Amino acid sequence: MAKGAQTSSAKVHFAAAKPRSDIRTVLKGGVLALLVLGVAPFFLDIYTVNILIRALFLATLALTVDLLWGYTGILTFGQSAFFGIGAYACALVFTHWGFGAGWAILALVLGIIAAMAVAALVGWLAFYHGAAPLYGSIVTLALPIVLTQIVFAGGRTTGSSSGLSGFPTYYWSIEIWFWLAGAFLVVVTGLAWLFVRSDMGRVLVAIKENEIRCAYLGIPVPRIKILLMVAAGGIGAIAGFGYAAFTNVVAPELTGFLLGTELLVWVALGGRGTLIGPVLGAIFIDVTSSYLSGSFPFYWKLLVGILFVVVIVALPQGLMPVVTNLWRRLVPGKRSAAEPAKLAAAPKREIAESVDKPLIVRGVHRHFGSLQVLQGIDFEAEKGELLSLVGPNGAGKTTLIRCIADGYERSGGDITIYGKPLGRWAPDRCVALGIGRKFQAANVFATLTVGECLRVARYRLDPPSTWASDTILNLPEAALRIVEETGLGESLATEARHLAHGQKQALELAMVLALEPSIVLLDEPTAGLTRVERERIGTILTSLTERERLSVLLVEHDLDFVRKISSRVIVLHQGRIMLDGSVDEVVGSELIRNIYAGSAQGGRGDPE
Amino acid sequence: MDVLLLDIVTTAAILFIVASGLMIILGVMKLINFAHPAFLTIGGYAAFVITQLGWNPWLAVPFAALVGFLLGLIVERVIVRPLYARPLDAILATWGLGIVIGQVITIAFGRQVQFVQTPISGAMEFLGQTYSTYRLVLVILAIVLAVALTGLLYFTRFGLNARAVTMNEDLARGLGIDSTKVRSVTFGLGAALASMAGALITPLISVDPNLGLPWLVNSFMLVLVSGVSIPGLMVAALILGGAQVIVSTYVSAILGGLTIVVLAAVILRIRPRGLTSG
Amino acid sequence: MSDGAATLEISALTSGYGEAIVIRGVSMTVAPGEIVALLGKNGMGKSTLLKTVMGFLPAREGKITLRGHDVTRDPPHRIARQAIAYTPQEQAIFQDLSVGDNLRLGQSEASWFEEELARVAQVFPFLKERLGQRAGTLSGGEQKMLLIARALMARPKLMLVDEITEGLQPSIIEQLTEALAVQRERTGVAMLLVEQNVRFALNVADRWAVLKLGEIDDAGKSDAHNAAARIADHLSV
Repeated sequence: MAKGAQTSSAKVHFAAAKPRSDIRTVLKGGVLALLVLGVAPFFLDIYTVNILIRALFLATLALTVDLLWGYTGILTFGQSAFFGIGAYACALVFTHWGFGAGWAILALVLGIIAAMAVAALVGWLAFYHGAAPLYGSIVTLALPIVLTQIVFAGGRTTGSSSGLSGFPTYYWSIEIWFWLAGAFLVVVTGLAWLFVRSDMGRVLVAIKENEIRCAYLGIPVPRIKILLMVAAGGIGAIAGFGYAAFTNVVAPELTGFLLGTELLVWVALGGRGTLIGPVLGAIFIDVTSSYLSGSFPFYWKLLVGILFVVVIVALPQGLMPVVTNLWRRLVPGKRSAAEPAKLAAAPKREIAESVDKPLIVRGVHRHFGSLQVLQGIDFEAEKGELLSLVGPNGAGKTTLIRCIADGYERSGGDITIYGKPLGRWAPDRCVALGIGRKFQAANVFATLTVGECLRVARYRLDPPSTWASDTILNLPEAALRIVEETGLGESLATEARHLAHGQKQALELAMVLALEPSIVLLDEPTAGLTRVERERIGTILTSLTERERLSVLLVEHDLDFVRKISSRVIVLHQGRIMLDGSVDEVVGSELIRNIYAGSAQGGRGDPE
Repeated sequence: MDVLLLDIVTTAAILFIVASGLMIILGVMKLINFAHPAFLTIGGYAAFVITQLGWNPWLAVPFAALVGFLLGLIVERVIVRPLYARPLDAILATWGLGIVIGQVITIAFGRQVQFVQTPISGAMEFLGQTYSTYRLVLVILAIVLAVALTGLLYFTRFGLNARAVTMNEDLARGLGIDSTKVRSVTFGLGAALASMAGALITPLISVDPNLGLPWLVNSFMLVLVSGVSIPGLMVAALILGGAQVIVSTYVSAILGGLTIVVLAAVILRIRPRGLTSG
Repeated sequence: MSDGAATLEISALTSGYGEAIVIRGVSMTVAPGEIVALLGKNGMGKSTLLKTVMGFLPAREGKITLRGHDVTRDPPHRIARQAIAYTPQEQAIFQDLSVGDNLRLGQSEASWFEEELARVAQVFPFLKERLGQRAGTLSGGEQKMLLIARALMARPKLMLVDEITEGLQPSIIEQLTEALAVQRERTGVAMLLVEQNVRFALNVADRWAVLKLGEIDDAGKSDAHNAAARIADHLSV
């Protein structure tokens, strides 16, 4: 409770969500694309239309790869598997069960359900707290191989290596198929466009940029990745279904690893994380391949291979940004970036008064193999206390912070937060208990703007919209104050990587405070800051404890700083608490002198 | 039963030989070389060239290793070195390189299947079974390879430097070790091992521009499961290769084809760092 | 190599991590055979200075020369090969390698090994018996001795030593003091020691400097009567 503390100078007060979406742009683009696709069949020969239909379905699949890899950073080799599942659902139902509108719907639904179920399984296997990013890729690599072998094993049911063909299907005119495939692509692209530009889309990019920071902002990263995988699987299955129904042929290659890697080539060349780039890349390369497969098959594939290597090495963002930059230079015009969200004060939250000790640490220890990093750590933190942890390098300060912020981290002992025991939980659940952790090095999302970084930090308290972005950004008073005092308020539309070091540190602190934590863990928040910046951070921290009654745990090397702002100091040395007391007791002690300055001054007079 | 045992041991030996180059590169450079199958293919065609020239088929092995080594040095300099900070992109770039190598081979040698002269043909009596002599020779070669690699890594200054770079690159550099050179030679060595393996397996399979591809994922999985160590790779090849042989023999050859992948994915979920690392 | 040049000369050096500037315009020299101690509280940039000299961190401004050679842009391995022995504060030995391999890695010439080993074994006799032991199983103090032994065996012209005394018991610090003095006496090696232990620093070094917030705040000779008091003043809180 902040008794007597006046509300800060924030002019705006808590405001209801005002979503804004890109729906106009999407509608305009969509209508234009549909028009082009609508008339295209009348200007193209049948062969071209034919291969374009297949390319359109594959382009939709490439789009899902871009969502997973380009936006969220999940390098997947297995998106072809879902395409194959949809395709085989179509072929199997039409071949063995029957054909007709009802059967078609059943096959589509079965395909989607099967793909989503497989995607959920893959996601569950691949994405868990602490999983290496490579493991997800390994699972997506295994998936198409397993599926292909299953198709092979299916004998006459699946047609084994030769696949299934000649099953009954809709022999509509080729224009109708073209429009269907085109409309599907346009609709999926439009939805994906809205999605990646929404607040939720920014969360995906945040995950790609820095998964760990996300977890410590209370974002359930594994769940989001699994859901995305499931959605991408479902879309892939629809594309595969359409492909099979149109071509009337399915083969094991459709589920295979090679198609999976080809998708990556298209997305990389087109430009990962651009949606349009991968779509155009897929269409262009697939169509050209079909054309040249007769005359120069090897040279064409060689060229694509070389181009792919060059793009990955020298132009990792792909060709799309090159094109857009050129366009911007050739066609100058007013392109106003989206207005950053307006800041508003979030409703005030009271610190629970019923609980006496916000943080109780009992017998916590941590070892790595035989190395004891922490042993028998016991302490408590009060409300409104600024507790500094000091000690030489390797004393276990950061490990202790980690044990409080990540339930998996400690080897033993109990931690209680506002009366609730901290279980073996991932950091995102610890955040829900009221923990906010700031990392040692400034840890922000480099390609997100300041406003977006703060929005991502509000994930748990203001769940982000999936299709739109909110024009109002509610922040608690403490975060607002940092944003205002450090000039971040004027830089809301600036990408975080362009900020000065001190501003990055301030931004991360604001992000942590945006979680409305009751216990704030700070690991050397002043490292690399100038004197003025240090003082400013010091003032902010003192006001957090005095006005907001938060408990702050601070790891700090600079003892001057510690002395100025702490209410209590704990000295850690070789994994144990050596001293726990008031600033005067600790700072004046012989022990700290010995630890910090060697034993030279042992018998000499106090220099102060 | 004895045939099954011989199948398991010889399959493990082949897997060990094929995966060793991938492992050396991953171990020292922390880099997943998806051009590995392309280097296997190169080795296969090196053997084919030797056959065409009518030379002694055993010459194929050193010839393949030499070609692989030189090519590996070039590839490391041009493609791999800029990507040390982007390991996932390195996977893609080496994959793209594999496409390029495959196409160049196709253009040079054509798409058709080629056959290579076998250095040793026929079968011999072993443990009361008549068994392919060449497969048995491969077991000996796998053991020789394991010993040679262990010797190189543990009893030479290059090996010491390479292990130092693997464990702590900054510390190694601070002691005067040129880690760039170590990486470069390591990649060349890995590529040479892959090409050599390609030449060694060609008597068992036909040579075509996609020769290496089916080996990629299994090798990759074995290396990860091995925890990236030579004894670990031997154990992984025996366990996973053995499982593959057993499933192929008693269940179905097709399901045998996915045994390694599925087992590896499960093992790695339980032990993310593989079998041998603590 | 130009005669008469300082073993190490740092002029107006600025460096740091990413955008954080940690060293701000530091200048200092170490003459041949001279031992200089760099003192200061934690987080003031002492280790950063050594890392910049070694080429692990790019110098943003300023110049570093070793015996007359400009090495400001050289990579660490090339700097190390100028007969520079660097002992970092953390992760300074290869835990999973044997004691012998750790010592061998410090040497550019394999032929020196036996001779140099015999020499350091006079100061640290345990090394000779435990060449085959895994370095990670040595005690903390033994690991520090191994670290110093590796540097001494490299026949360096300059040693950059980062907080070697941290966590060591006084008797071992005595041994270290002795070992460093003997080495200098014998080979004329120069040293730059980053230290927290003022007594050790003043015992070993000819000169000292205090680094504060990335700048040299004070400097002097070790034998000046008020040296310890002045340093204590800077280090006190």
